[in-house]
Amino acid sequence: MTKEQIFELVKNSIREMVPEINTDNVRIEQSLRDLGVNSIDRMDIVIKCMEDLNLKIPLVEFGKVKNIAGIVELLYEKSTQ
Amino acid sequence: MNRVAVTGLGIVSSIGHNVSEFKHSLKNGRCGIRSMEHDSSKVAASKILGALIHDFSFNDILEHYSEFDGALVSRLKACLKRATVGMKYAAVSAAEAWTSAGLKSENITPERIGIVVAGSNLSCALQYNLHNNFVTSPEYLSPSYALQFMDTDYVGTLSEVFNIKGEGFTVGGASASGNVGIIKACQLIRLKIVDVCLVIGSCADLSPMEIQGFVNLGGMGGNVFAEKPLEACRPFDKEHEGFIYGQASACLVLESIEHARTREAEILSYISGGAIALDANRLSTPCEDGEARAMTGALGEAGLKITDIDYINAHGTSTPLGDITEVNAIKKVFGSRTGEVWINSTKGLTGHCLYSAGVVEAIAVIIQMKENFLHPNLNLYTPIDNECRFCNRQIVEAEVRTALSNSFGFGGINTSVVIEKGEQPQERKR
Repeated sequence: MTKEQIFELVKNSIREMVPEINTDNVRIEQSLRDLGVNSIDRMDIVIKCMEDLNLKIPLVEFGKVKNIAGIVELLYEKSTQ
Repeated sequence: MNRVAVTGLGIVSSIGHNVSEFKHSLKNGRCGIRSMEHDSSKVAASKILGALIHDFSFNDILEHYSEFDGALVSRLKACLKRATVGMKYAAVSAAEAWTSAGLKSENITPERIGIVVAGSNLSCALQYNLHNNFVTSPEYLSPSYALQFMDTDYVGTLSEVFNIKGEGFTVGGASASGNVGIIKACQLIRLKIVDVCLVIGSCADLSPMEIQGFVNLGGMGGNVFAEKPLEACRPFDKEHEGFIYGQASACLVLESIEHARTREAEILSYISGGAIALDANRLSTPCEDGEARAMTGALGEAGLKITDIDYINAHGTSTPLGDITEVNAIKKVFGSRTGEVWINSTKGLTGHCLYSAGVVEAIAVIIQMKENFLHPNLNLYTPIDNECRFCNRQIVEAEVRTALSNSFGFGGINTSVVIEKGEQPQERKR
């Protein structure tokens, strides 16, 4: 999967968990926090992405991530290992 | 004692998704019991009957409320977007009670509102449904589960929806939970801890495992009448054979009389007293003495005598031992007056709504008082007792001013509350 495809997958996950966010306007350099996503929903979004990609990444690794680009990067890196 | 006003009602049940539909079903003796085709495939029993909530659309109902309170609808949407269906029933019943009481978050001090959620183990179905995936991939368990598995998630979520900042907690009392909730909320108001208190009777969203537990315990009916679901729940009839599971969430807005009068709210009825009496018994067996003490205690707290009571909304689950024990307890309390007091059981129409039964039945009492009727005991052909004045299979026109509503739970938890008719509009103006 390309990074662009993973970004789309993250946006799908955002739509599913927080339907009030219009993901058409979401930019990759934004953070989930910037979008007003609460802490529980942020974790739910990340876990949904992992499940979709069939990856098992320790959640602490997402703690270092600063924005959606970081999430995409981490998912991409693990999915290509 | 100080009576507490009831100013709002809300319900989602198998026989109505709001108070108006529920009232119509009570008047017409409409029963919600059907065969639980889908779920019975997972349970080791030939057939399971239940009065389940069908055709419930959270979004359609929210659409209806958006006319009255758009801000409330936005909060409901945001707070409940991934909630369990049980939580959605609770929120919708609370929204109906809240709006029918004429409450608006901006007009009321949040610190003076309380919330009591009645029922325990509210996430059984959620746990059951997550279990298979959890066994194979624990990593993918939704973090929301850490909030959802605690019953107090209902307190947290509903307090955010309605901006409630006073006291809030859950109460458990098995099948008597609803009455326990009403009694505790009245205490909060009488102690002046809050002015307004929501009491939510939670829907028992059982998984096949809990259903199987009840089947194996021998408590469930629907055997002889397996092919005739509408005839299976027969409180106080000689052919009764066990309870039928029902689903409902119901909500009362309780309020101090002063507070209700100050904001010129209509007082639908009063909770005049209530009592909880234990049997010192961990089993499911009912006990005449404990049930009698609950009724006597409720009357005593209300400062009323047996001659003041016109009607008893019985616990009446349709289990042989439970029904006769309640009849004997009523005779013990009412003595020679037994034949003068009307008795019916709402469970004949709704099934046994377990945690919410007390709140569902309080709403049934209030509706019947307001509309001067008593709903039928749908399947009462041959009463187990000839002294009691049971409603028969037809609606009865009757003016009821004061009623007892009984709820008894496993573990010897006996409760009864006294409900009095509300003021007529002309009385309020005086």
